[in-house]
Amino acid sequence: MKPRTRAAFLSNFSIAVATTVLLLATSLLAQPSPPGKPGPGPQQKPKLTASAIQFERTDPPEDLLIPEDTRIATYENVILQLTKTKKFQHVYRSGDRTAADVPDLVILRLIPQAFKKGSQKQREVTTVTGATSIKVNIQFASRDGKILREKVVQGKVRFYGENLRATYDLAKKVAALANDTF
Amino acid sequence: MKTRSTQINPGVSSKQQEIVRRSLQLVGLLVFAVVEVFVATAALATNRQLASPQASQSTSIPHVKCVIGLENIRPNTKGTLSLLPTGLEFATGKNKVDISTASIQDIFTGQESRQDVSGPAGTLAKAAIPYGGGRIVSLFSHQVEVLTVEYLDSNGGFHGTVFVLSSGKATMLKDQLVAQGAKVTPHLEPPEQTEQKQ
Repeated sequence: MKPRTRAAFLSNFSIAVATTVLLLATSLLAQPSPPGKPGPGPQQKPKLTASAIQFERTDPPEDLLIPEDTRIATYENVILQLTKTKKFQHVYRSGDRTAADVPDLVILRLIPQAFKKGSQKQREVTTVTGATSIKVNIQFASRDGKILREKVVQGKVRFYGENLRATYDLAKKVAALANDTF
Repeated sequence: MKTRSTQINPGVSSKQQEIVRRSLQLVGLLVFAVVEVFVATAALATNRQLASPQASQSTSIPHVKCVIGLENIRPNTKGTLSLLPTGLEFATGKNKVDISTASIQDIFTGQESRQDVSGPAGTLAKAAIPYGGGRIVSLFSHQVEVLTVEYLDSNGGFHGTVFVLSSGKATMLKDQLVAQGAKVTPHLEPPEQTEQKQ
């Protein structure tokens, strides 16, 4: 019995050691490479710098009608969320004349692409229908018009909450993109 | 005979006189009633004409929800929205924010429906009702009006604020602001419950 047991123990121990070594090797390979050195992991876009940002209002295309309260709630929510990121010394509103003197100003535009007005009652009664969604193309641009970063995001309210909560969801996504970009 | 005729004739004439007197009284009463009705109607109309400029000078609506857009006011705060001769004023217990009529660029009104039982507490209460009874509660809603005001600050920066009022109040406020000289452009109403894509 004893030799057999010793043999089984050695066999099990060798398997365990091999597995541990394999796991360690795999985890070391999966580590992201240090910044500046190209490696096998996905490359992150370099962060941009800007001391101030101005959010310019963009009118939707003529065939896309969005209620004005939704547009205003989007605009004000984005201003609030951008301020909360603390990435910029100043967040200027659309049309603010004092932004003209800022040297490294970044312009933010939200170009509406689609809008679906849902119903709070329908959402709460059926759970699966009545979602409100708004899809926009976010553009960070320099003062001379060069697009620095662009992404299409969608804000939505699916289950509970008023329709305007979709604009809050959208603003959070815009702020997250600003965090990633700057 | 003379005696008889004198006995009969006075009775007949007194009856006729009584009928005439009564009919005159009735006509008099009718004329009086008609005059009263006219006077009352005229007084009501005069009162309305006198009351409306006063109302337009200072209309105050309590329990208005400011959804977003006012400086120093947290989103979804309830307060009193007043129309002053200089513009709009939203006041809560601590803060007060003014929007001057001259700075207003556009005003929009719209109809919305709100759940009778809502908010985190309402949602929890609905979830607590067994056998999906919360969904029945969700069927109860009421109509509200949304007032959206766009205005500029002293630097030319664009602001917008959204208020939720009880039905009919937003249109009244808009009309009074327009009468004060606020700018309004003609609007297109978006269709209900449709998806639109570029």
